[in-house]
Amino acid sequence: MQKQRLLLFLILTLVLGAIAIITQLPPRLGLDLKGGSQLTIQALPNEENEVIDAFSLNSLKTVLEKRVNNLGAAEPVIQTVGEDKILVQLPGVNDPTEAERVLGGTAKLEFREQKRDTDAQLQVELQIRSQTELQLELLRQSPTTAEQQAEIARLTESLQNSNQALLELFASVDLTGASLIDARPQPLPNGNNWEVAIVFDSEGGDKFAQLTKEIAGTGRTLGIFLDDVLLSAPRVGPEYAATGISGGRAVISGNFNLDSANDLAVQIKGGALPFPVEVVENRTVGATLGQDSIRRSIYAGLAGLIGVLIFMVAYYRLPGLIADVSLIVYTLLTLASFSLVNVTLTLPGIAGFILSIGMAVDANVLIFERTREELRKGKTLYKSVESGFYRAFSSILDSNVTTLIACFALFWLGSGLVKGFALTLAIGVLVSMFTAVTCSRTLLLFVVLGMPKVRQNPKLFCPNLTVSPKS
Amino acid sequence: MKISVIKYQKLWWAISAMAIALSLAAMFLSWQQINAPLRPGLDFIGGTRLQLELNCELENNCPQPIELATVREILTSQELADSSVQRVDNFGISIRSKNINVEQRSRLISALEESIGTFDPQKTQIDTVGPTIGKELFRSGTLALIVSFLGIIAYVSIRFQLDYAIFAIIALFHDVFITAGVFAILGLVIGLEVDSLFLVALLTIIGFSVNDTVVIYDRIREIAKDQPELDIREVVDLGVNQTLGRSINTTITTLLPLVTIYIFGGETLKYFALALIIGFICGSYSSIFIASTLLAWWRNSRSNQLAVE
Repeated sequence: MQKQRLLLFLILTLVLGAIAIITQLPPRLGLDLKGGSQLTIQALPNEENEVIDAFSLNSLKTVLEKRVNNLGAAEPVIQTVGEDKILVQLPGVNDPTEAERVLGGTAKLEFREQKRDTDAQLQVELQIRSQTELQLELLRQSPTTAEQQAEIARLTESLQNSNQALLELFASVDLTGASLIDARPQPLPNGNNWEVAIVFDSEGGDKFAQLTKEIAGTGRTLGIFLDDVLLSAPRVGPEYAATGISGGRAVISGNFNLDSANDLAVQIKGGALPFPVEVVENRTVGATLGQDSIRRSIYAGLAGLIGVLIFMVAYYRLPGLIADVSLIVYTLLTLASFSLVNVTLTLPGIAGFILSIGMAVDANVLIFERTREELRKGKTLYKSVESGFYRAFSSILDSNVTTLIACFALFWLGSGLVKGFALTLAIGVLVSMFTAVTCSRTLLLFVVLGMPKVRQNPKLFCPNLTVSPKS
Repeated sequence: MKISVIKYQKLWWAISAMAIALSLAAMFLSWQQINAPLRPGLDFIGGTRLQLELNCELENNCPQPIELATVREILTSQELADSSVQRVDNFGISIRSKNINVEQRSRLISALEESIGTFDPQKTQIDTVGPTIGKELFRSGTLALIVSFLGIIAYVSIRFQLDYAIFAIIALFHDVFITAGVFAILGLVIGLEVDSLFLVALLTIIGFSVNDTVVIYDRIREIAKDQPELDIREVVDLGVNQTLGRSINTTITTLLPLVTIYIFGGETLKYFALALIIGFICGSYSSIFIASTLLAWWRNSRSNQLAVE
């Protein structure tokens, strides 16, 4: 009895904890539920580059990150998938066409020459841009209300204006990423500082020499632009005034550490990406449509749950009622686990959850059927309940393990949509095993041991009980 | 309730054989018509699906239900004549076309808006899947199917014996096959396409089917151990009968939520739920009537050396 009290207390704590988690940290919703665009962008190999290596893919990712920032989406997700793809999630984007256009184009790197007498302006514009970027950064991190959403849109626009203004301070000299062969970070011999080395092909090398000759020692800078956005504006020392930086090789130095040097190299390299990209998948769901899906799924889930609850009480009586209690505990714990494991709930994910409700009952059904059999053999209620649990356990274990094997295969090999379903179903199965063996069992034993009236009335467990020693 | 599954085993086998024959016929017919046993959806062969709805809050934007003929005309003028169009309610349309890029798509949408009215971007749904992605989705899904098969065979062989595992797998093929057969028929009759959710459904059916079979096997094994004097056919009959209540109740409690998803769950989940409903019913049937009777028949046919471990 003491043990039962302790377990009851534990379950109660878990339930309260679960409620706290669910209210504080509601499960994340997938784009198909809250609306937004999900784009898969693939790097396409061509003749010169048949293999896309990790560095190139990373460069592409950085390029896409930059572009996404111009779209003004809150909480965008950008991740590499497999060997040649990048997944971009843009919650709440209402113009997927714009997103697809911006993200699907090949990156454009250009080296430009700063126009004369624009020094002061350049400084001012750079200042404004970095402030706007900082503000945007901060806003994007926090969950967004409609007000913040509008603020993001406003800041994004002013960022675009800044970039436009910066672009106009530089003149094109027809030197693009097409002429660039490589960009890599390299350490300086003297210590902790790093620089970025860039290499041009011969034609590009000549243009670069010409460009650097023009501006060397004048205080004007060389603008490196990616998709018309200024990445870096290094000066060229007066020692190059005679010939420019010739030979097709140059280094950009400054206050770089390994990270920032790598950052710039990746961006420059990204702009020189020798392979085209293509949007190979686009799944966009309008926000209203997503909400409609949520509402329908919640209705379906509730209706299913209520149906199961009613069935259990009608068929199994008192134990059915206890199964219902543990089913509700199960629902709470599972939802809390979703929040803890940070599952993104998608439509198939919700289906997996609803399905697991039905399957969660199976463990209880197995136990109760066993208990009834034991009662029919003439055992006492307490013994029947105990051996019901004991004997049903191997069935529960085997049947759930096979489901888990299927879940594992789905999660391991399936695509995004399928993964979500597998994960929610697997969590459901695991939690259901836990609630069946702790919650249902404890409650049942508590009722049987703690309430003498129940103990003397096995009919509560099995209507029409007739004892036959051997079936 | 008491049933003897062994007594009428030929009847159960005949029913299943007929269902499988029907499924095969449907898949064959489907192969003749569309070169695939089941009508593959967007997810597997690529393509574009556009769902658009008029914004009826704008004045004069929804004067009358959308005319499909107008939509088809526009599609033809955009060289998308072989697309299919459906009306969703009165003021929405769903267009399924070959894979079109972003320029073609925006051209199409603006052409539609010009002659029909302004669409509500909040209710727009776009699905575009490139052909290579489709192949990958299909490959990864099929691979997942095979891996879970092998995993289940291995687990059941270890927990029981190899012949148990083989009959469980036969029952499982039976369920998957009939579910696929029903969808082949639906593909032929109402043009229903299978997508990656269908693969998910098949995998879930596998899990459930084995789950069900294992519970019965577990009981058969237990009875055989407790009463070694019994003939395997009696053991199977007893095992099935003792677990019958559980089988029926679990099927009911699992089907309840599925039926609610089918009714309330919306277009995407509707056929997912249907696949599961068919598969789970087959799963219960095959566990009770096929997996167990086959096991009895197999062990009995080797009866002289029968040893129940």
